[in-house]
Amino acid sequence: MMMADQFRKVEQYSPKSSPRGARSPVVSRQDSTGTLKTTISLGKNPSIVHSGPFYLMKEPPVESELTGATNLMAYYGLEHSYSKFSGKKVKEQLSSFLPNLPGMIDTPGHQDNSSLRSVIEKPPIGGKELLPLTSVQLAGFRLHPGPLPEQYRYVNQAPQRKHKNKHKKHKHKAGETPSQETQVTELGQDTHEKKHKKQKRHDEEKERKKRKKEKKRKKQKHSPEHPGGLTPSQHSSG
Amino acid sequence: MASSLENLETQLEMFIENVRQIRIIVGDFQPQGQNVLNQKIQSLVHGLQEIDKLKSQVQEVHVPLEVFDYIDQGRNPQLYTKDCIEKALTKNEQVKGKIDAYRKFKAHLLVELNSVFPNELTKYRAIRGDERPLT
Repeated sequence: MMMADQFRKVEQYSPKSSPRGARSPVVSRQDSTGTLKTTISLGKNPSIVHSGPFYLMKEPPVESELTGATNLMAYYGLEHSYSKFSGKKVKEQLSSFLPNLPGMIDTPGHQDNSSLRSVIEKPPIGGKELLPLTSVQLAGFRLHPGPLPEQYRYVNQAPQRKHKNKHKKHKHKAGETPSQETQVTELGQDTHEKKHKKQKRHDEEKERKKRKKEKKRKKQKHSPEHPGGLTPSQHSSG
Repeated sequence: MASSLENLETQLEMFIENVRQIRIIVGDFQPQGQNVLNQKIQSLVHGLQEIDKLKSQVQEVHVPLEVFDYIDQGRNPQLYTKDCIEKALTKNEQVKGKIDAYRKFKAHLLVELNSVFPNELTKYRAIRGDERPLT
């Protein structure tokens, strides 16, 4: 009966007047206690809230168990991965991730049409059965003896930068500047002689290191931190 | 899943090694090397067959497209993982900050409203089922 009255009241109002205006057309103003007031919200989850003296009161959103307030790294057990990547510096080059891959893989893929994007954008023809080549087909791979032309010889050959760098450092330690080295080459000395010099220097350094090692060993024998001695924990327990 | 990935990795490595050997043979071709080259070409086909067989085992592997950009630029894909983890952590901290700020704001607002509209707030809290004393 009351509901029917309410609907009649709605019809009395002009459709132009918004139900969300300053005064709700549905709820009568005389109810000072506010106990009869309700807010009906439609949408995905329709709900009826007894809102009392408050307009447009809705059910608060359901609190989800997992929010950004929790440490999601710990929640998903990724702390180990985080410390692994944040602790040490990850090397920039792709070759440091795939050290065993031959060829120059650090150059941009679009330069030599080897980009993975191009595989997605232009997928290769697939679905055909892979069969071994017949002898007629293999005849197409008969090659002329001899080396490749110069321009193709060094294509895709991995540069051995790492080794070079190490060597340079090595030289530096020996007390020679790289500029001296270049000067020698510029003078056009015999390469064989150069090799010999290098070998000599190498041997000298080997000996020097050996001597150093021995000295260290002797020192360690006498020092209290010698591995044969007690560790700090053993010290405390003993 | 791990073993199928390892299988694929092994097969790919073998295939790459085969190609590398062909490159050496072809680099300075000797007439007596034709038979070896033919064998190597056949083993390439065999390698492709083996890789093709393994594709059904790795259907469930999902790779983010962005990681391809890193690889295509000659960058270490681990940097992608690192960047992702760092971004996620930053976002997590930002959202936590927002949630904490809103919580504080709500508590403060309730205290202030209580001092100005004590009756209304009592009703409001009764509706919400929150009878705890305001701090």
